[in-house]
Amino acid sequence: MTRYIGRRRFLAGASITAAAVLVTAGCGGTSATGETGDGQDTHDGTGEVQGDIVFAWWGGGARNEVTNAVADLFEEANPDVSVSRESADWGDYWDRLNVQASGGNMPCVTQTQARQLNDFASRNLLLPLDPMVESGAIDVSTIPDDVLDSGRGPDGELYMVPYGAAYDALMVNQTLAEETGAGVPPDGYDWEYFFDWLAEAQDDLPDDVAAANVGGGRPNYLIAYVQAHGEEMFADGQIGFPRELLVDFWTEWEELRESGVTNTADQWAEEPSASEQSYVAQGAVMADVQPGNYLTPAQDTMDGQDTGQQLVTVPLPSGPAGSGNVLITSGFSIPASCDNVSTAAAFVDFWINDDEGAEVFSSSNGAVTNADHLQQQIDNPELPELKRHELEVYEQIVGMSPPVIIYPPGYQATFEAAFTRAYEEIAFGRKSIEQAVDDFFAEANAGLG
Amino acid sequence: MSITDSTRARASTSDQATPSLSHRRRQRRRAPGEAVAGYLFLSPWLAGLLFLTIGPMVASLYLSFTDYDLLTAPRWVGFDNFAQLFSDPRWIASVGVTLTYVLFSVPGVLIVSLAVALALNKGFRLLSAYRAAYYLPSLLGSSVAIAILWRQVFGDQGAVNAVLDRIGIHMGSWIGSPDTALYTLIVLNIWTFGATMIIFLAGLRQIPTEYYQAAAVDGAGKIRQFRSITLPMLTPLIFFNILLTTVNAFQAFTPAYVISEGTGGPANSTLFYTLYLYEQGFTRLEMGYASAMAWVLVVALGIGTALLFASARYWVFYGDER
Amino acid sequence: MSRATYTPATRTPPRAPRLRFGRTPVRSPLGRAVVRHAMLLTVIAIMLYPLFWMVGASFRPNNEVFTTLGIWPSNFTLDNYTEGWTSGQFSFSRYFLNSLVITGLSVVGNVVACMLAAYAFARLDFPFKRVLFAIMLGTLLLPYHVTLVPQYIMFSELQWINTILPLVIPKFLATDAFFIFLMVQFIRVLPREMDDAARIDGCGYWGIFRRIIVPLSLPAMGTVAMFTFIFTWNDFLGPLLYLSRPDMWTVAQGLNNFVDATGQSAFGPLLAMATLSIAPIVGFFLVTQRLLVEGIATSGLK
Repeated sequence: MTRYIGRRRFLAGASITAAAVLVTAGCGGTSATGETGDGQDTHDGTGEVQGDIVFAWWGGGARNEVTNAVADLFEEANPDVSVSRESADWGDYWDRLNVQASGGNMPCVTQTQARQLNDFASRNLLLPLDPMVESGAIDVSTIPDDVLDSGRGPDGELYMVPYGAAYDALMVNQTLAEETGAGVPPDGYDWEYFFDWLAEAQDDLPDDVAAANVGGGRPNYLIAYVQAHGEEMFADGQIGFPRELLVDFWTEWEELRESGVTNTADQWAEEPSASEQSYVAQGAVMADVQPGNYLTPAQDTMDGQDTGQQLVTVPLPSGPAGSGNVLITSGFSIPASCDNVSTAAAFVDFWINDDEGAEVFSSSNGAVTNADHLQQQIDNPELPELKRHELEVYEQIVGMSPPVIIYPPGYQATFEAAFTRAYEEIAFGRKSIEQAVDDFFAEANAGLG
Repeated sequence: MSITDSTRARASTSDQATPSLSHRRRQRRRAPGEAVAGYLFLSPWLAGLLFLTIGPMVASLYLSFTDYDLLTAPRWVGFDNFAQLFSDPRWIASVGVTLTYVLFSVPGVLIVSLAVALALNKGFRLLSAYRAAYYLPSLLGSSVAIAILWRQVFGDQGAVNAVLDRIGIHMGSWIGSPDTALYTLIVLNIWTFGATMIIFLAGLRQIPTEYYQAAAVDGAGKIRQFRSITLPMLTPLIFFNILLTTVNAFQAFTPAYVISEGTGGPANSTLFYTLYLYEQGFTRLEMGYASAMAWVLVVALGIGTALLFASARYWVFYGDER
Repeated sequence: MSRATYTPATRTPPRAPRLRFGRTPVRSPLGRAVVRHAMLLTVIAIMLYPLFWMVGASFRPNNEVFTTLGIWPSNFTLDNYTEGWTSGQFSFSRYFLNSLVITGLSVVGNVVACMLAAYAFARLDFPFKRVLFAIMLGTLLLPYHVTLVPQYIMFSELQWINTILPLVIPKFLATDAFFIFLMVQFIRVLPREMDDAARIDGCGYWGIFRRIIVPLSLPAMGTVAMFTFIFTWNDFLGPLLYLSRPDMWTVAQGLNNFVDATGQSAFGPLLAMATLSIAPIVGFFLVTQRLLVEGIATSGLK
């Protein structure tokens, strides 16, 4: 026979549970909080170079290999030092760093990037590096001032020594662009030219290839658009450009999307997140914004498809205020919680200035910021053609004296995420452009700072 | 909670021979040392209850009134977090997504599992093979592998579109469009109906056949028999399954996380409550806000459960409370 | 259910269907069985098709993965498996090893801890027993969200992040009440006479537990072990929170990272690894499905 636990008995049990919870909850709370380094210490970076340090970076297979090789060179040069290494893919890297920061155990040499730097600097997790530069522990004399300044926080202190400078570029499928007769955009082309160029090319492209990936949700385009129109991305930790500019930007992209010049919004939503697997690398779109240092891996993907197509990068479009290109530098920071600052400083110094190390690393994460090393690499006849192109575009962009953007804390988690979502709302017909712009400004400004 | 007790049913002879548990307790005096032994055996669970459930619940309640990022001490903000919730468009979106998911998938799971259980309840050969085949997806439904498979099946060039193409219907990506993405997850949940079905099957097999024989003698047809015998006898299990399926549906995480790569996109269309809580708590380190979200969910689910229990008096038929 | 299944029996007792309603297409019990089996099999085929397709596709050359809807690969290859296994920073052997360690410890911990608690609830009498039992049932309905953040903070304070402790220790403390409940249900119906006999022989509570209850409860322990295995193996949120170092990742994390890193371009290897990741579950299920299915029927566990 079927038997059940009586309903009444269970109800009584449930209410007792609820009561127990309420009673215990009423006793007031205890909290588990952690005090981590308050970051008021400074250190000039001099001292003995010995013992263990932890070194962490982001990257995949090839990058890991060369990074490890440089760390090995450092160990050879300093036999009393052992460098333990941690690496992760880009997204996981930042999640992990958040975790480590919360536990007060960030790696002594932590790779950072300008876009996230202030998430950590503003919480006093990083040591200011100027005293180490002054003491000579870290020699930054070969790094151009404009580039070095990208490692500064809102308080003007140096929190990151940039070692590689990447830039966003327009990656163009040269083969397709020439077949349509539109060609690759010329030097100094502007946004108007760019949008017309896409529309023109679309008419002659194969049916299953779009001229561009949906672009309205790409913060990288926006940054270039804002700069080219003479506005500021951020001011006082808030959005610095006027809302009308964003209305214009999204209106342009919506016109392209609605007229079929870009692929569809749901195709865009399905795009793989890794740059080397992006649609432009797969030959599914003719042009897209991509990090300039992904030219080589993207071409590898392209070659894997045996279509014989060739990719090329050009700077992003200019505007009334000139070039819109900005540099995105990656570098090293030393956390306030580090217990072996002198060795960490020595490691950073080695990385920036050692000739052999620079040759091994060969600008794997953006063009090398040490001007001497850059020249050596460009002069090296064995440098692969695509890599040379990457470095030359870098020189071209540096020649345009790109502005330095100070990204407020919360940039990636708030601004970028909200921006992409806001454009999705437009592209999927959920909101009007005006409405999406207003909501985006409200959400981003609330989350920044 | 009303739960079938088929083990007990199997042992019904010994059950009848000895009085029930609570009855016996009244007769027997507690042996010396039994209380100590009881707590010793219970000690791991009690420690878990204290340190991993009740303690954290209290802490979470406290944190929900603070601004806390793990790095600096919690700052008391009163009801700010809760006030902010109700004006946060993403939170509102996540509530909408989760409710849609629950409202479609719970009835879906129940109807499909009851229908299949009825079809299987004929006592024919191969029953256990059928049961196993229907049950297998339940074990896999929350895995990353199946979420990846779903991305493919409902993708732009996936199996579903390939089939539709052959009959002349051209669809875009089901995963990539905010109008359809959530429904692929609902289908995934319904796909795992097997566990619910097995509970129904166990219940069906315990309905005494004499009832049906008597009804047939009285001239009741199959539909009538279903409505006046099967359904009422199953109500405790329907109640139980509604409860379990709903609680599970509110906790779904992995499929939405994998399919949207953690974003809840496109356009917030798969932003499950859990996913948004994860984002706030562990991507943005807004732990006070995440705790407030958790408590709103606990209270809402508590009210929902209480209403369900209250409604049970009107439609759930309990065999032992005649 | 189709009309064919129930219409003929409309006015007949179940065991002696008379076939005078000739309008229905299927007349004989055999015919009805055939229809029913056909329907049941069709539903199964639709349900399991994605799984079979995945297994088939994993043996297909990468460029054929998208173009074929069939199941059997015409150009059979193992390339996807060799390529997928070694992709990423660590190979899948590492992820499988990590998953095995975590799952193995979880199974042991959960079975032991739940067994202890279940024995106390089922057989012993102590103050507040009913309250505690009700609380245990109450935790079944508690959404895990509410303990997620504080548990994380606590484990982070204990410096347990990037260790397997946050995933394993809760199992040793029987935090999943479902399993206790399942075992209580089982132990309750074991005959008490054996306890009494053992007590007369001088056994204490521990002796009874070890010599009588544990051996008799092996089927229930098997069910709990299997479910713990499957749940832990599939768990993704736990490792996602607590294991951020790639060398500590579980199979689920390795797989998720694979999809983020490669997208559609390496779908063959991805499906191959997805197939491998569920192979242990399917394998254990085939071996123990009786135990599992009865476990669910007993406790409502899912």
